Amino acid sequence: MAPTAPSPAKSASPSQPSGKSEVSDLKQQLRQLAGSRAPDADDQRRDVFKRVISCMTAGIDVSAAFGEMVLCSATSDVVLKKMCYLYVGVHARAHPDLALLTINFLQRDCRDQDPTIRGLALRSLCSLRVPNLVEYLVAPLTTGLKDPSAYVRMVASVGAAKLYHISTTTCLDADLPAALKALMLSDSDAQVVANCLHSLLEIWTLEAANSEAAAREIETLYSKPVVFYLLNRIKEFSEWAQCHVLELASKFLPSDNNEIFDIMNLLEDRLQHANGAVVLATIKVFLHLTMSMTDVHQQVYERIKAPLLTLVGAGSPEQSYSVLCHLHLLVMRAPMLFSSDYKSFYCQFSDPSYVKKLKLEMLTAIANESNTYEIVTELCEYAGNVDVPIARESIRAVGKIALQQYDVNAIVDRLLQFLEMDKDYVTAETLVLVKDLLRKYPQWSHDCIAVVGNISSQNIQEPKGKAALIWMLGEYSQDMHDAPYILESLVDNWDEEQSPEVRLHLLTAVMKCFFKRPPETQKALGATLAAGLADTHQDVHDRALFYYRLLQHDPAVAERVVNPPKQAVSVFADTQSSEIKDRIFDEFNSLSVVYQKPSYMFTDKEHRGTFEYSEDLTNLTVGVEAPETVISAQRYQENDNDLLLSTSDKEDNVTRASNGSSTSTYNAPPDLTGPSSLLSSQTPTETALINPGGPTYSAQTNFSLDDLLGLGVPDTPAPPSPPALTLNSKPVLDPGTFQKKWGQLALSLSQECSLSPQGAASLMNPQSLIRHMQSNYIQCIASGGQPPNYKFFFYGQKDGATAFYLVECIVNTASAKAQLKIKADDGTTAQSFSTLFQSALSKFGLS
Amino acid sequence: MLQCVFLLSDSGEVMVEKQMTAHRVDRAICGWFWEYVLAHAAGDPSKVVVSPTHYLFQVYRHGVTFLACTQVEMPPLMAIEFLSRVADVLTDYLGDLNEDIIKDNFVIVYQILDEMMDNGFPLTTEPNILKEMIAQPNIVSKMLNVVTGKSSAIGNKLPDATASFVHWRTTVVKDASNEAYVSIVEELDACVNREGVLVKCEACGDIVVNSSLPGVPELTLSFANPTIINDVRFHPCVRFRPWESSQILSFVPPDGQFKLMSYRVKKLKTTPIYVKPQLSSDLGNCRVNVMVGIRNDPGKPIDSITVQFQLPPLIASADLTANHGTVDILADQTCLWTIGHIPKDKAPSLSGNLRLEEGLAHLHVFPTFQVKFRIMGVALSGLQIDRLEVKNTPSAPYKGFRAQTQAGRYEVRS
Repeated sequence: MAPTAPSPAKSASPSQPSGKSEVSDLKQQLRQLAGSRAPDADDQRRDVFKRVISCMTAGIDVSAAFGEMVLCSATSDVVLKKMCYLYVGVHARAHPDLALLTINFLQRDCRDQDPTIRGLALRSLCSLRVPNLVEYLVAPLTTGLKDPSAYVRMVASVGAAKLYHISTTTCLDADLPAALKALMLSDSDAQVVANCLHSLLEIWTLEAANSEAAAREIETLYSKPVVFYLLNRIKEFSEWAQCHVLELASKFLPSDNNEIFDIMNLLEDRLQHANGAVVLATIKVFLHLTMSMTDVHQQVYERIKAPLLTLVGAGSPEQSYSVLCHLHLLVMRAPMLFSSDYKSFYCQFSDPSYVKKLKLEMLTAIANESNTYEIVTELCEYAGNVDVPIARESIRAVGKIALQQYDVNAIVDRLLQFLEMDKDYVTAETLVLVKDLLRKYPQWSHDCIAVVGNISSQNIQEPKGKAALIWMLGEYSQDMHDAPYILESLVDNWDEEQSPEVRLHLLTAVMKCFFKRPPETQKALGATLAAGLADTHQDVHDRALFYYRLLQHDPAVAERVVNPPKQAVSVFADTQSSEIKDRIFDEFNSLSVVYQKPSYMFTDKEHRGTFEYSEDLTNLTVGVEAPETVISAQRYQENDNDLLLSTSDKEDNVTRASNGSSTSTYNAPPDLTGPSSLLSSQTPTETALINPGGPTYSAQTNFSLDDLLGLGVPDTPAPPSPPALTLNSKPVLDPGTFQKKWGQLALSLSQECSLSPQGAASLMNPQSLIRHMQSNYIQCIASGGQPPNYKFFFYGQKDGATAFYLVECIVNTASAKAQLKIKADDGTTAQSFSTLFQSALSKFGLS
Repeated sequence: MLQCVFLLSDSGEVMVEKQMTAHRVDRAICGWFWEYVLAHAAGDPSKVVVSPTHYLFQVYRHGVTFLACTQVEMPPLMAIEFLSRVADVLTDYLGDLNEDIIKDNFVIVYQILDEMMDNGFPLTTEPNILKEMIAQPNIVSKMLNVVTGKSSAIGNKLPDATASFVHWRTTVVKDASNEAYVSIVEELDACVNREGVLVKCEACGDIVVNSSLPGVPELTLSFANPTIINDVRFHPCVRFRPWESSQILSFVPPDGQFKLMSYRVKKLKTTPIYVKPQLSSDLGNCRVNVMVGIRNDPGKPIDSITVQFQLPPLIASADLTANHGTVDILADQTCLWTIGHIPKDKAPSLSGNLRLEEGLAHLHVFPTFQVKFRIMGVALSGLQIDRLEVKNTPSAPYKGFRAQTQAGRYEVRS
């Protein structure tokens, strides 16, 4: 027990029962104390208040005591006041009528002579969040903004943003944003300036969706005078405020290189700040500013390397992980620059395994001629690691390095040594790698085959390793003396083989072997084909049948099919496209980096309209009437999608946060009630079922069914008038499919078109264009960019058909031009879609 | 911006709930989170978690989980740094941090959270300033309350330092004892690979200053050999220009103990002690022999030496003895060899046998030996303080210097 204030448990009387009777008991005591003028009344009140709050924290409903609490709140004791404010803040929303009682004493406290009390009262007043009490808020806020004490101004400037959330019109009518702006540019206290900045950003970002004036106001925040004014005062700000100013600066577009260098010189020392958040925010500014100057960009990497590496080493595990994620991103972008620091990425025994995994990936990326030997030596030590997943990862890393390098001689030796370790998972992983290596460097076959031939297939249990071994047996059966016999023994155990993958490989390997050494394999081939035809697995059966018929048709053709001359694979497909990596990089210092996914993949699409606070989250009625029919229709589709997605996808989909364009602070979709209700014990299925499915639902099912059968549905039910292309008003496409399609389809059209000057001028943020295009049945799947350049990905669907049109559209508002790249499932109609798209685009801003 | 902060006990109970914005976060999220933690009890759960409704940031300190929720994109490090700061401030305030202390002082915790964050943005996080607004619950103030009969636990003063230019320092420091102490605290991270080669050796150090000086003192600290430092991070009070031009630390210190500077020295050549493990296995037996000795005498006694390693899995029995110190096999299959000092007359060694499980001839998984030691009076990186000047104080203060090195992550693989 520490020598601290008396615990609530102790101060409670021993005969105290819990739950309801406790609350009524507390009420009783409060009522007695309410009028008491005894000298120790404050102490007694404090004890009772403490118990009330302790009950509240424990989750007991103490809202019944609201009236009594308010009665007791007339006191001069600051701690009592604070406890009372806390209580009132939690319960006011449920008791708007009783909350009115508190207004009186809060307003009085706002005029107290002690600035601390004025500030506290004002903060509590703004935290009541009862819509019908906003009229009492404006006056204290306006005076608070002019208060002589910086503490009160600080509270008031945040309060303005709170008021905006309660009642937008009240806040704007009272002209609070203008007052905030004036204060921001003139106040002597840095914290007041910072709070004004937050509030302004918050208000105007939300307001920008509705009014152009607000969008222009945002522009002024990102303008040179404001940004430079704030940057010049940066040392006065607290570390957290510095983060926000730096975030603002990272979005600033300097007009010339001198400005860039000015900013960088000014911020140079921020890289040495003790707070990691400041360091990362500064790094983001540097990276973004120098994006267009290749050589300086390189220097920036050099400069930020040391601070990042120190941050990784110095902080708590939580801090070092998020820094490591950012470092990972940079290393993947410019591995060369980090190649001399490879030792910083050596895994320590005490690292948690998620850290080790990141480090392994970085070691793999930075391996080059000069450090490969050391890195591979280090990685080989991990293969004997107690942590089996890491041992596997490190073997894979060695393999990846081998695939990157030209000088693989030593690495192949190392890999072959792994096989001698005689541990099942090591052998399995190594076999997979040896197989990949042989596909890329067939010249090593001799050495590898000698070792691989000694491995008994009985010792390998893992399907992947077994499949790799069988592949090698088939591919190199001419070099391996007993390959046919090993394969034969494997075929004998066909029925015991669980994995269809292994059986498929076995089929092919026996075929290959047969063409190389017919007399020895003929018997095995017969047995294999028989076993394959009898197999219950569809793929295995089909492939066996295919081989059988092929052989029946013409063995020479079969040989050409099974054993064609092979070319060495030069490049293995990368799992993450460079476009995605670029996107994550644009979102540096955000959650995207930690998840290693661009924000559009894990947050919701940004065109869902602005987020409105749902007043009561326990309210389970999901079908909240959305103002725009388009949006509500989309929500239904979203729920339909949920039914089709796997659980993990669903989580991603349900989890809402704002999109990557961090200017918009509250950009979650209106269907937030949906996911929240999920928490309140309602399953997603039910949620979806509550929604009336309607026509969208059936359209959706049709589409997915067609897709499932893989039918390239011809446009037989095409619209009666072929030249005029009509679009499906509610197409459905999830980002994953979009991305896949975008990668697969060839470019149908690439054009430049122009926007109307009014359109270009009104394009202050992506949302406005997205909404416009939506009204033309063209949906946006992702968007981003900063003025004057925006990038959008749109899609549309031909009415009554499954064919999609995918559009990449880069808009430059300065020149009022747009670059279009259109890809279409059905290339013949791409031109008419393009016409339609362009006409929609040109109308933007005119309506 | 953070929408809500929870403090959870070791059993997942909500100890403090502080809603930051108009969006109320249902506390059911804590239940979800706790199930997630239990599901990942074996491996480390990730520090940023996606729940069905919110993004969760967590920081774990001494049995207390600090959990923050948000629905909007924000710099992850800002949230984590903030939570760490909350933990630090609470530790500072309450003397220690654990479940009982939080529960006993939840009113203080609420008050502190209220000042540290408003509307989801961090506000005042400097302990010095907070202490002016919210009094510390210590024995002294408790006594005072009893004696004077004054019940208020808060200084009724306005937090004037929020307006002061040096925002980490209160404008009036009372009861200053006119002392300044500077200590160098270093941790040595090293990694020795299977061949006995030192693959990595670096020192991470902090300069910790404990100042109790009246008025607004001006301090300058210089080093004898600042060029050895590879990278530095400073407390906000350090002025950047003097460091840039002549590697001098010039600052107005906050009152009390704080971390003035952190630095890193890469590429050290040698470690003060060596640890040489040998493992050879044959016919289901594994001979273990570990030798420890002084490699590079730092000139000061090395104490608190321990060597610890995880016994490999698939061990039937272990029989390990040492000629110096004690050997314990802990419950989690860790072997802890406590050496203490290295005696002058003999080299400590640990030896013995591990019997492998039936059917296993050789050992495949090799343990990593984690070494700990402590040396008082020396900074192993070689960093030396040249002088500390104090100006702007009424009388010459007492100045004290200290140095200490301990093993951070010193690992020897076998």
